[in-house]
Amino acid sequence: MSLLTRISSYSAKPALVGAWGVVTYAELTELIAKARRELVQLKLDRPTVFGLVGEHGPASTAWLLALAEAGHFVAPLSGNAAEHPAKLALINAQWIVVAEAKDWKLLPRVDEPSAHPLFARLAAQGAAGLVLFSSGTSGAPKAMVQDFSKLLASYESRHESDLVMLALLGFDHIGGLNTLFNSLAAGSLLVIPASRSPADVASTVARHRVAVLPASPTFLNLLLAAGVTAELASLRVITYGTEPMPESLLHRLKVAFPRVRFIQTFGTSETGITRTSSPEAGSTFLRFDDPDLEWKVIDDELWLRSRTQIAGYLNASNERFTADGWFRTGDKVEQGPNGSLRILGRMGEMINVGGEKLMPAEVESVVLGVPGVHDCRVHGEAHPLTGQTVAVDVVSFTTDQEALRSAIRIACRERLARHKIPTRVTFVPSVSGERMKKTR
Amino acid sequence: MLTREQSLALVLRRLAALGRELGKPTLEKADEQTRLFGEAAALDSIGLVTLIADLEEDIRVATGKTVTLADEKAMSRLTSPFRRVDLLAEYVVEVTRN
Repeated sequence: MSLLTRISSYSAKPALVGAWGVVTYAELTELIAKARRELVQLKLDRPTVFGLVGEHGPASTAWLLALAEAGHFVAPLSGNAAEHPAKLALINAQWIVVAEAKDWKLLPRVDEPSAHPLFARLAAQGAAGLVLFSSGTSGAPKAMVQDFSKLLASYESRHESDLVMLALLGFDHIGGLNTLFNSLAAGSLLVIPASRSPADVASTVARHRVAVLPASPTFLNLLLAAGVTAELASLRVITYGTEPMPESLLHRLKVAFPRVRFIQTFGTSETGITRTSSPEAGSTFLRFDDPDLEWKVIDDELWLRSRTQIAGYLNASNERFTADGWFRTGDKVEQGPNGSLRILGRMGEMINVGGEKLMPAEVESVVLGVPGVHDCRVHGEAHPLTGQTVAVDVVSFTTDQEALRSAIRIACRERLARHKIPTRVTFVPSVSGERMKKTR
Repeated sequence: MLTREQSLALVLRRLAALGRELGKPTLEKADEQTRLFGEAAALDSIGLVTLIADLEEDIRVATGKTVTLADEKAMSRLTSPFRRVDLLAEYVVEVTRN
Protein backbone atom coordinates (compact mmCIF):
# COMPACT_ATOMS: atom_id res chain seq x y z
CA MET A 1 0.00 0.00 0.00
CA SER A 2 1.51 3.33 -1.03
CA LEU A 3 2.23 5.96 1.58
CA LEU A 4 -0.60 8.18 0.26
CA THR A 5 -3.10 5.31 0.43
CA ARG A 6 -1.99 4.57 3.96
CA ILE A 7 -2.39 8.21 4.96
CA SER A 8 -5.95 8.39 3.67
CA SER A 9 -6.81 5.05 5.33
CA TYR A 10 -5.95 6.41 8.78
CA SER A 11 -8.72 9.03 8.27
CA ALA A 12 -9.85 10.34 11.66
CA LYS A 13 -6.62 9.61 13.55
CA PRO A 14 -4.52 12.66 14.46
CA ALA A 15 -1.49 13.00 12.18
CA LEU A 16 0.35 16.17 13.17
CA VAL A 17 0.17 18.53 16.11
CA GLY A 18 2.02 21.79 16.57
CA ALA A 19 1.47 25.48 17.27
CA TRP A 20 -1.30 25.40 14.60
CA GLY A 21 -3.29 22.71 16.45
CA VAL A 22 -4.13 19.13 15.52
CA VAL A 23 -4.44 17.94 11.93
CA THR A 24 -6.00 14.52 11.27
CA TYR A 25 -5.00 12.14 8.50
CA ALA A 26 -8.27 13.01 6.72
CA GLU A 27 -7.41 16.72 6.85
CA LEU A 28 -3.90 16.00 5.65
CA THR A 29 -5.38 13.99 2.75
CA GLU A 30 -7.54 17.03 1.91
CA LEU A 31 -4.48 19.32 1.93
CA ILE A 32 -2.61 16.93 -0.36
CA ALA A 33 -5.58 16.93 -2.76
CA LYS A 34 -5.65 20.73 -2.72
CA ALA A 35 -1.92 20.91 -3.46
CA ARG A 36 -2.43 18.33 -6.23
CA ARG A 37 -5.14 20.53 -7.84
CA GLU A 38 -2.96 23.65 -7.72
CA LEU A 39 -0.13 21.68 -9.23
CA VAL A 40 -2.36 20.64 -12.14
CA GLN A 41 -3.30 24.29 -12.70
CA LEU A 42 0.38 25.14 -13.23
CA LYS A 43 0.18 23.04 -16.42
CA LEU A 44 3.76 21.86 -16.12
CA ASP A 45 4.71 19.75 -19.11
CA ARG A 46 7.78 18.17 -17.59
CA PRO A 47 9.28 17.25 -14.19
CA THR A 48 10.10 20.58 -12.54
CA VAL A 49 12.33 21.70 -9.68
CA PHE A 50 10.54 23.16 -6.62
CA GLY A 51 11.95 24.83 -3.55
CA LEU A 52 9.72 24.05 -0.56
CA VAL A 53 10.32 26.65 2.15
CA GLY A 54 8.95 25.85 5.58
CA GLU A 55 9.29 23.95 8.82
CA HIS A 56 7.53 20.69 9.75
CA GLY A 57 3.77 21.20 9.37
CA PRO A 58 0.63 20.21 7.49
CA ALA A 59 1.16 22.41 4.42
CA SER A 60 4.82 21.54 3.97
CA THR A 61 4.06 17.82 4.38
CA ALA A 62 1.16 18.00 1.89
CA TRP A 63 3.30 19.68 -0.74
CA LEU A 64 6.22 17.32 -0.25
CA LEU A 65 3.95 14.33 -0.90
CA ALA A 66 1.99 15.96 -3.75
CA LEU A 67 5.22 16.85 -5.56
CA ALA A 68 6.58 13.34 -5.08
CA GLU A 69 3.38 11.81 -6.41
CA ALA A 70 3.51 14.00 -9.54
CA GLY A 71 7.15 13.09 -10.23
CA HIS A 72 8.68 16.51 -9.59
CA PHE A 73 11.93 17.44 -7.85
CA VAL A 74 11.71 19.10 -4.45
CA ALA A 75 14.22 20.72 -2.12
CA PRO A 76 12.87 21.31 1.41
CA LEU A 77 14.41 24.49 2.83
CA SER A 78 14.08 25.27 6.54
CA GLY A 79 15.92 27.39 9.05
CA ASN A 80 18.15 30.27 8.05
CA ALA A 81 16.36 32.12 5.21
CA ALA A 82 19.58 33.94 4.25
CA GLU A 83 20.86 30.69 2.76
CA HIS A 84 17.77 30.01 0.66
CA PRO A 85 18.46 32.20 -2.41
CA ALA A 86 21.83 30.57 -3.08
CA LYS A 87 20.35 27.10 -2.68
CA LEU A 88 17.39 27.89 -4.95
CA ALA A 89 19.80 29.17 -7.59
CA LEU A 90 22.01 26.12 -7.24
CA ILE A 91 19.14 23.77 -8.09
CA ASN A 92 17.60 26.05 -10.78
CA ALA A 93 14.26 26.04 -8.95
CA GLN A 94 11.35 27.10 -11.20
CA TRP A 95 8.79 27.39 -8.42
CA ILE A 96 8.88 28.18 -4.73
CA VAL A 97 6.24 26.96 -2.30
CA VAL A 98 6.30 28.92 0.94
CA ALA A 99 4.44 26.74 3.45
CA GLU A 100 3.34 27.86 6.88
CA ALA A 101 0.99 25.91 9.14
CA LYS A 102 -1.98 24.95 6.89
CA ASP A 103 -1.39 27.64 4.24
CA TRP A 104 1.00 28.27 1.41
CA LYS A 105 2.01 30.67 -1.30
CA LEU A 106 3.19 29.61 -4.73
CA LEU A 107 5.84 31.87 -6.23
CA PRO A 108 7.27 31.53 -9.72
CA ARG A 109 11.04 31.85 -9.94
CA VAL A 110 12.63 33.00 -13.17
CA ASP A 111 15.41 30.62 -13.97
CA GLU A 112 16.44 28.30 -16.76
CA PRO A 113 15.10 24.77 -16.24
CA SER A 114 17.85 22.59 -14.85
CA ALA A 115 19.63 20.55 -17.49
CA HIS A 116 21.50 18.52 -14.89
CA PRO A 117 21.92 14.88 -15.99
CA LEU A 118 20.91 13.65 -12.51
CA PHE A 119 17.46 15.23 -12.91
CA ALA A 120 17.23 13.98 -16.50
CA ARG A 121 18.02 10.44 -15.38
CA LEU A 122 15.35 10.43 -12.67
CA ALA A 123 12.82 11.98 -15.07
CA ALA A 124 13.53 9.26 -17.63
CA GLN A 125 12.80 6.65 -14.95
CA GLY A 126 9.57 8.42 -14.03
CA ALA A 127 10.93 8.95 -10.52
CA ALA A 128 10.48 12.00 -8.33
CA GLY A 129 13.58 13.63 -6.83
CA LEU A 130 14.41 14.82 -3.33
CA VAL A 131 17.18 17.38 -2.96
CA LEU A 132 18.84 17.76 0.44
CA PHE A 133 21.77 19.98 1.32
CA SER A 134 24.75 19.17 3.46
CA SER A 135 27.54 21.44 4.51
CA GLY A 136 30.57 20.43 2.53
CA THR A 137 33.99 20.45 4.13
CA SER A 138 34.68 23.88 2.65
CA GLY A 139 31.43 25.22 4.14
CA ALA A 140 29.63 25.64 0.80
CA PRO A 141 26.45 23.54 0.70
CA LYS A 142 26.44 20.36 -1.36
CA ALA A 143 23.15 19.46 -3.07
CA MET A 144 22.38 15.75 -2.92
CA VAL A 145 19.72 14.29 -5.19
CA GLN A 146 17.93 11.04 -4.52
CA ASP A 147 15.15 8.99 -6.00
CA PHE A 148 12.24 10.24 -3.89
CA SER A 149 9.81 7.61 -5.20
CA LYS A 150 12.11 4.81 -4.08
CA LEU A 151 12.71 6.48 -0.70
CA LEU A 152 8.98 6.79 0.01
CA ALA A 153 8.39 3.20 -1.10
CA SER A 154 10.82 2.05 1.60
CA TYR A 155 8.29 3.11 4.28
CA GLU A 156 5.39 1.10 2.84
CA SER A 157 5.93 -1.97 4.99
CA ARG A 158 5.83 -0.14 8.36
CA HIS A 159 3.45 -1.59 10.94
CA GLU A 160 0.65 0.60 12.25
CA SER A 161 1.48 2.06 15.64
CA ASP A 162 -0.10 4.45 18.09
CA LEU A 163 3.14 5.51 19.74
CA VAL A 164 3.36 9.33 19.62
CA MET A 165 6.62 10.58 18.10
CA LEU A 166 8.37 13.94 18.34
CA ALA A 167 10.11 15.64 15.42
CA LEU A 168 13.34 17.12 16.69
CA LEU A 169 15.36 17.31 13.50
CA GLY A 170 14.24 19.75 10.83
CA PHE A 171 12.12 19.40 7.71
CA ASP A 172 15.24 19.86 5.57
CA HIS A 173 17.22 17.09 7.28
CA ILE A 174 17.19 13.40 6.30
CA GLY A 175 16.70 12.52 9.97
CA GLY A 176 13.70 14.87 10.31
CA LEU A 177 12.13 13.54 7.12
CA ASN A 178 12.77 9.96 8.23
CA THR A 179 10.84 10.66 11.44
CA LEU A 180 8.00 12.26 9.44
CA PHE A 181 7.66 9.39 6.94
CA ASN A 182 7.93 6.75 9.67
CA SER A 183 5.22 8.43 11.68
CA LEU A 184 2.89 8.90 8.66
CA ALA A 185 3.41 5.33 7.46
CA ALA A 186 2.58 4.00 10.93
CA GLY A 187 -0.48 6.21 11.35
CA SER A 188 1.05 7.72 14.47
CA LEU A 189 0.80 11.25 15.78
CA LEU A 190 3.87 13.39 15.09
CA VAL A 191 4.40 16.23 17.55
CA ILE A 192 6.23 19.37 16.40
CA PRO A 193 7.77 21.30 19.33
CA ALA A 194 7.71 25.12 19.35
CA SER A 195 11.49 25.15 19.49
CA ARG A 196 14.33 22.70 20.04
CA SER A 197 15.22 24.02 23.48
CA PRO A 198 15.27 21.31 26.18
CA ALA A 199 12.54 23.14 28.13
CA ASP A 200 10.18 23.39 25.14
CA VAL A 201 10.81 19.81 24.12
CA ALA A 202 10.20 18.56 27.67
CA SER A 203 6.92 20.45 28.08
CA THR A 204 5.78 19.27 24.62
CA VAL A 205 6.58 15.66 25.53
CA ALA A 206 4.55 16.00 28.73
CA ARG A 207 1.57 17.70 27.04
CA HIS A 208 1.20 15.15 24.23
CA ARG A 209 2.39 12.05 26.08
CA VAL A 210 5.18 11.53 23.54
CA ALA A 211 6.52 7.97 23.59
CA VAL A 212 9.26 8.06 20.96
CA LEU A 213 11.99 10.68 20.94
CA PRO A 214 14.61 10.61 18.19
CA ALA A 215 17.54 12.74 19.36
CA SER A 216 21.26 13.22 19.19
CA PRO A 217 23.51 12.37 22.15
CA THR A 218 24.31 16.10 22.43
CA PHE A 219 20.63 16.95 22.85
CA LEU A 220 20.08 14.12 25.34
CA ASN A 221 22.97 15.46 27.39
CA LEU A 222 21.33 18.90 27.34
CA LEU A 223 18.06 17.35 28.57
CA LEU A 224 19.89 15.81 31.52
CA ALA A 225 21.70 19.07 32.26
CA ALA A 226 18.41 21.01 32.13
CA GLY A 227 16.96 18.78 34.86
CA VAL A 228 13.67 18.16 33.04
CA THR A 229 13.56 14.36 33.29
CA ALA A 230 10.37 14.42 35.44
CA GLU A 231 8.45 15.88 32.51
CA LEU A 232 9.61 13.06 30.23
CA ALA A 233 7.84 10.21 32.06
CA SER A 234 5.78 9.22 28.98
CA LEU A 235 8.86 8.30 26.93
CA ARG A 236 9.21 4.61 26.05
CA VAL A 237 11.82 4.71 23.28
CA ILE A 238 14.70 7.07 22.65
CA THR A 239 16.48 6.64 19.35
CA TYR A 240 19.82 8.28 19.03
CA GLY A 241 22.22 8.81 16.17
CA THR A 242 24.10 11.36 14.04
CA GLU A 243 27.17 11.23 16.33
CA PRO A 244 28.94 8.77 18.60
CA MET A 245 27.27 8.06 21.96
CA PRO A 246 29.71 8.40 24.86
CA GLU A 247 29.36 5.34 27.09
CA SER A 248 29.25 7.49 30.23
CA LEU A 249 26.32 9.48 28.80
CA LEU A 250 24.41 6.32 27.85
CA HIS A 251 24.88 5.08 31.40
CA ARG A 252 23.57 8.33 32.91
CA LEU A 253 20.60 8.24 30.52
CA LYS A 254 19.70 4.72 31.56
CA VAL A 255 19.76 5.77 35.20
CA ALA A 256 17.62 8.84 34.48
CA PHE A 257 15.15 6.92 32.25
CA PRO A 258 14.95 3.38 33.65
CA ARG A 259 11.79 2.52 31.65
CA VAL A 260 13.07 3.74 28.28
CA ARG A 261 14.48 1.50 25.58
CA PHE A 262 17.48 3.06 23.82
CA ILE A 263 17.87 2.28 20.13
CA GLN A 264 20.81 3.43 18.10
CA THR A 265 20.08 4.55 14.56
CA PHE A 266 22.69 5.15 11.96
CA GLY A 267 22.41 7.30 8.95
CA THR A 268 24.14 9.49 6.48
CA SER A 269 22.48 11.96 4.16
CA GLU A 270 23.98 9.95 1.31
CA THR A 271 22.68 6.49 2.27
CA GLY A 272 19.62 7.24 4.39
CA ILE A 273 18.75 6.32 7.96
CA THR A 274 19.03 2.71 9.04
CA ARG A 275 17.73 0.98 12.13
CA THR A 276 20.27 -0.97 14.04
CA SER A 277 20.22 -3.29 17.01
CA SER A 278 22.55 -3.46 19.96
CA PRO A 279 24.25 -6.80 20.62
CA GLU A 280 23.39 -6.29 24.29
CA ALA A 281 21.52 -3.73 26.36
CA GLY A 282 23.61 -0.72 27.26
CA SER A 283 26.21 -1.35 24.59
CA THR A 284 27.41 1.39 22.30
CA PHE A 285 28.11 -1.29 19.68
CA LEU A 286 25.53 -1.66 16.93
CA ARG A 287 24.58 -4.15 14.26
CA PHE A 288 22.92 -3.34 10.95
CA ASP A 289 19.71 -5.36 10.48
CA ASP A 290 18.58 -3.81 7.23
CA PRO A 291 18.24 -6.12 4.22
CA ASP A 292 18.50 -3.05 1.98
CA LEU A 293 21.88 -2.06 3.35
CA GLU A 294 25.27 -3.64 2.80
CA TRP A 295 28.33 -2.67 4.81
CA LYS A 296 32.03 -3.39 5.03
CA VAL A 297 35.05 -1.95 6.82
CA ILE A 298 38.06 -0.90 4.78
CA ASP A 299 41.10 0.41 6.69
CA ASP A 300 38.92 1.13 9.77
CA GLU A 301 36.52 3.19 7.66
CA LEU A 302 32.86 2.20 7.30
CA TRP A 303 31.64 1.71 3.72
CA LEU A 304 27.92 1.46 2.96
CA ARG A 305 25.79 0.59 -0.03
CA SER A 306 22.03 0.98 0.26
CA ARG A 307 18.97 0.80 -1.93
CA THR A 308 17.92 4.30 -0.92
CA GLN A 309 21.24 6.05 -1.38
CA ILE A 310 21.48 9.29 -3.30
CA ALA A 311 21.78 9.35 -7.07
CA GLY A 312 24.59 11.88 -6.76
CA TYR A 313 25.53 15.50 -6.04
CA LEU A 314 24.46 18.40 -8.21
CA ASN A 315 27.53 20.45 -7.46
CA ALA A 316 30.22 18.11 -6.18
CA SER A 317 32.13 15.16 -7.49
CA ASN A 318 31.02 11.67 -6.55
CA GLU A 319 34.51 10.83 -5.35
CA ARG A 320 33.23 9.32 -2.11
CA PHE A 321 31.25 6.76 -4.13
CA THR A 322 33.11 3.89 -5.77
CA ALA A 323 32.27 2.81 -9.31
CA ASP A 324 30.30 -0.15 -7.93
CA GLY A 325 28.17 2.05 -5.67
CA TRP A 326 29.90 1.89 -2.29
CA PHE A 327 29.83 5.08 -0.20
CA ARG A 328 32.87 5.81 1.92
CA THR A 329 31.25 7.27 5.06
CA GLY A 330 34.40 8.84 6.55
CA ASP A 331 33.41 7.25 9.87
CA LYS A 332 36.10 5.46 11.77
CA VAL A 333 34.73 2.28 13.32
CA GLU A 334 35.86 -0.50 15.60
CA GLN A 335 34.67 -4.04 14.86
CA GLY A 336 33.30 -6.16 17.71
CA PRO A 337 32.18 -9.78 17.82
CA ASN A 338 29.46 -11.21 15.53
CA GLY A 339 29.40 -8.41 13.01
CA SER A 340 28.94 -5.60 15.53
CA LEU A 341 30.47 -2.18 15.09
CA ARG A 342 31.20 0.88 17.18
CA ILE A 343 31.37 4.35 15.68
CA LEU A 344 34.51 6.05 16.96
CA GLY A 345 34.19 9.36 15.14
CA ARG A 346 35.22 10.97 11.89
CA MET A 347 38.39 9.79 10.17
CA GLY A 348 39.62 13.40 9.98
CA GLU A 349 39.10 14.02 13.69
CA MET A 350 41.75 11.60 14.79
CA ILE A 351 44.30 13.32 17.03
CA ASN A 352 47.92 12.30 16.77
CA VAL A 353 50.03 13.03 19.86
CA GLY A 354 53.65 12.27 19.16
CA GLY A 355 52.67 9.35 16.91
CA GLU A 356 50.06 7.93 19.30
CA LYS A 357 46.52 8.25 18.09
CA LEU A 358 43.15 8.81 19.71
CA MET A 359 39.60 9.84 18.86
CA PRO A 360 37.92 12.81 20.62
CA ALA A 361 34.89 10.69 21.61
CA GLU A 362 36.78 8.46 24.02
CA VAL A 363 38.12 11.46 25.94
CA GLU A 364 34.75 13.26 25.85
CA SER A 365 33.11 10.21 27.36
CA VAL A 366 35.40 10.41 30.42
CA VAL A 367 35.26 14.21 30.77
CA LEU A 368 31.43 14.17 30.61
CA GLY A 369 31.41 11.78 33.56
CA VAL A 370 33.25 14.24 35.84
CA PRO A 371 30.82 15.89 38.32
CA GLY A 372 30.38 19.57 37.44
CA VAL A 373 30.93 19.14 33.69
CA HIS A 374 27.80 19.96 31.68
CA ASP A 375 29.19 19.49 28.22
CA CYS A 376 32.52 19.35 26.44
CA ARG A 377 34.25 19.12 23.08
CA VAL A 378 37.67 17.61 22.54
CA HIS A 379 39.86 18.63 19.64
CA GLY A 380 43.47 18.41 18.59
CA GLU A 381 45.72 21.49 18.72
CA ALA A 382 49.00 21.84 16.89
CA HIS A 383 51.91 21.78 19.31
CA PRO A 384 55.62 22.12 18.59
CA LEU A 385 56.55 19.57 21.26
CA THR A 386 54.23 16.68 20.41
CA GLY A 387 52.88 17.50 16.94
CA GLN A 388 49.37 17.70 18.30
CA THR A 389 48.01 17.91 21.79
CA VAL A 390 44.60 17.14 23.29
CA ALA A 391 42.53 20.21 24.17
CA VAL A 392 39.09 20.21 25.73
CA ASP A 393 36.52 23.00 25.91
CA VAL A 394 34.37 22.55 29.00
CA VAL A 395 30.98 24.02 29.86
CA SER A 396 30.51 24.23 33.62
CA PHE A 397 28.94 26.50 36.21
CA THR A 398 31.54 25.73 38.84
CA THR A 399 33.06 28.58 40.81
CA ASP A 400 36.32 26.71 41.22
CA GLN A 401 37.63 26.14 37.72
CA GLU A 402 41.08 25.31 39.02
CA ALA A 403 39.73 22.39 41.02
CA LEU A 404 37.56 21.13 38.17
CA ARG A 405 40.49 21.29 35.74
CA SER A 406 42.42 19.11 38.14
CA ALA A 407 39.49 16.72 38.61
CA ILE A 408 39.15 16.33 34.84
CA ARG A 409 42.80 15.45 34.42
CA ILE A 410 42.76 13.06 37.37
CA ALA A 411 39.66 11.28 35.98
CA CYS A 412 41.34 11.02 32.58
CA ARG A 413 44.54 9.71 34.11
CA GLU A 414 42.61 6.96 35.88
CA ARG A 415 40.87 5.77 32.72
CA LEU A 416 42.93 6.76 29.70
CA ALA A 417 46.39 6.25 28.29
CA ARG A 418 48.86 9.05 29.03
CA HIS A 419 48.78 10.64 25.57
CA LYS A 420 44.96 10.99 25.72
CA ILE A 421 44.89 13.22 28.79
CA PRO A 422 43.89 16.78 27.85
CA THR A 423 46.80 19.17 28.34
CA ARG A 424 44.67 22.25 27.75
CA VAL A 425 41.38 22.63 29.62
CA THR A 426 39.48 25.76 28.64
CA PHE A 427 36.23 26.89 30.24
CA VAL A 428 33.73 28.23 27.72
CA PRO A 429 30.10 29.43 28.00
CA SER A 430 28.89 26.95 25.39
CA VAL A 431 30.19 24.48 22.85
CA SER A 432 29.00 24.74 19.29
CA GLY A 433 27.62 22.07 17.03
CA GLU A 434 27.11 18.44 17.71
CA ARG A 435 29.73 16.49 19.50
CA MET A 436 31.73 15.03 16.63
CA LYS A 437 29.15 16.08 14.14
CA LYS A 438 28.68 13.39 11.60
CA THR A 439 25.70 14.30 9.48
CA ARG A 440 26.95 16.02 6.44
CA MET B 1 54.34 42.42 32.35
CA LEU B 2 55.67 40.24 35.14
CA THR B 3 58.83 40.59 37.22
CA ARG B 4 61.23 37.67 37.53
CA GLU B 5 59.98 37.00 41.09
CA GLN B 6 56.32 36.98 40.05
CA SER B 7 57.07 34.78 37.11
CA LEU B 8 59.09 32.35 39.21
CA ALA B 9 56.26 32.18 41.75
CA LEU B 10 53.79 31.38 38.97
CA VAL B 11 55.95 28.57 37.61
CA LEU B 12 56.59 27.03 41.03
CA ARG B 13 52.95 27.27 42.07
CA ARG B 14 51.86 25.63 38.81
CA LEU B 15 54.49 22.93 39.13
CA ALA B 16 53.32 22.12 42.65
CA ALA B 17 49.70 21.86 41.46
CA LEU B 18 50.77 19.56 38.65
CA GLY B 19 52.74 17.50 41.15
CA ARG B 20 49.59 17.00 43.24
CA GLU B 21 47.66 15.97 40.11
CA LEU B 22 50.34 13.56 38.97
CA GLY B 23 51.02 12.18 42.44
CA LYS B 24 54.65 13.41 42.26
CA PRO B 25 55.31 15.14 45.62
CA THR B 26 58.87 16.06 44.56
CA LEU B 27 57.41 18.68 42.21
CA GLU B 28 55.95 20.49 45.21
CA LYS B 29 59.51 21.00 46.48
CA ALA B 30 60.84 22.28 43.15
CA ASP B 31 63.20 25.28 43.05
CA GLU B 32 64.97 27.41 40.46
CA GLN B 33 67.39 24.65 39.57
CA THR B 34 64.81 21.89 39.09
CA ARG B 35 65.17 20.29 35.69
CA LEU B 36 61.87 20.24 33.83
CA PHE B 37 62.53 18.34 30.66
CA GLY B 38 65.29 16.28 29.18
CA GLU B 39 67.57 13.85 30.96
CA ALA B 40 66.80 13.19 34.64
CA ALA B 41 63.95 15.65 34.46
CA ALA B 42 60.73 15.85 36.39
CA LEU B 43 58.27 15.79 33.49
CA ASP B 44 57.57 13.73 30.41
CA SER B 45 56.48 15.44 27.20
CA ILE B 46 52.77 15.32 28.03
CA GLY B 47 53.52 16.71 31.49
CA LEU B 48 55.52 19.56 30.01
CA VAL B 49 52.80 20.37 27.46
CA THR B 50 50.30 20.41 30.34
CA LEU B 51 52.50 22.71 32.44
CA ILE B 52 52.85 25.10 29.51
CA ALA B 53 49.11 25.15 28.77
CA ASP B 54 48.28 25.88 32.40
CA LEU B 55 50.98 28.55 32.63
CA GLU B 56 49.57 30.29 29.55
CA GLU B 57 46.21 30.39 31.34
CA ASP B 58 47.87 31.73 34.53
CA ILE B 59 49.57 34.48 32.51
CA ARG B 60 46.26 35.41 30.88
CA VAL B 61 44.64 35.71 34.31
CA ALA B 62 47.58 37.67 35.77
CA THR B 63 48.24 40.08 32.90
CA GLY B 64 45.22 39.87 30.57
CA LYS B 65 47.58 38.89 27.76
CA THR B 66 47.12 35.80 25.62
CA VAL B 67 50.57 34.37 25.02
CA THR B 68 51.96 31.26 23.38
CA LEU B 69 54.93 29.87 25.26
CA ALA B 70 55.61 26.85 23.09
CA ASP B 71 56.17 27.89 19.51
CA GLU B 72 58.83 27.29 16.89
CA LYS B 73 60.77 30.31 18.12
CA ALA B 74 61.04 28.87 21.62
CA MET B 75 61.85 25.42 20.32
CA SER B 76 64.66 26.61 18.06
CA ARG B 77 66.58 28.44 20.81
CA LEU B 78 70.04 27.19 21.60
CA THR B 79 69.11 26.88 25.25
CA SER B 80 65.59 25.56 25.58
CA PRO B 81 63.50 27.68 27.99
CA PHE B 82 61.80 24.45 29.03
CA ARG B 83 64.91 22.83 30.40
CA ARG B 84 64.92 24.32 33.90
CA VAL B 85 62.57 26.25 36.19
CA ASP B 86 64.72 29.44 36.20
CA LEU B 87 65.00 29.44 32.40
CA LEU B 88 61.24 29.05 32.04
CA ALA B 89 60.56 31.86 34.53
CA GLU B 90 62.92 34.18 32.62
CA TYR B 91 61.27 33.21 29.36
CA VAL B 92 57.85 34.09 30.82
CA VAL B 93 59.22 37.55 31.75
CA GLU B 94 60.47 38.00 28.19
CA VAL B 95 57.25 36.86 26.53
CA THR B 96 55.01 39.02 28.72
CA ARG B 97 57.20 42.11 28.16
CA ASN B 98 56.22 42.31 24.47
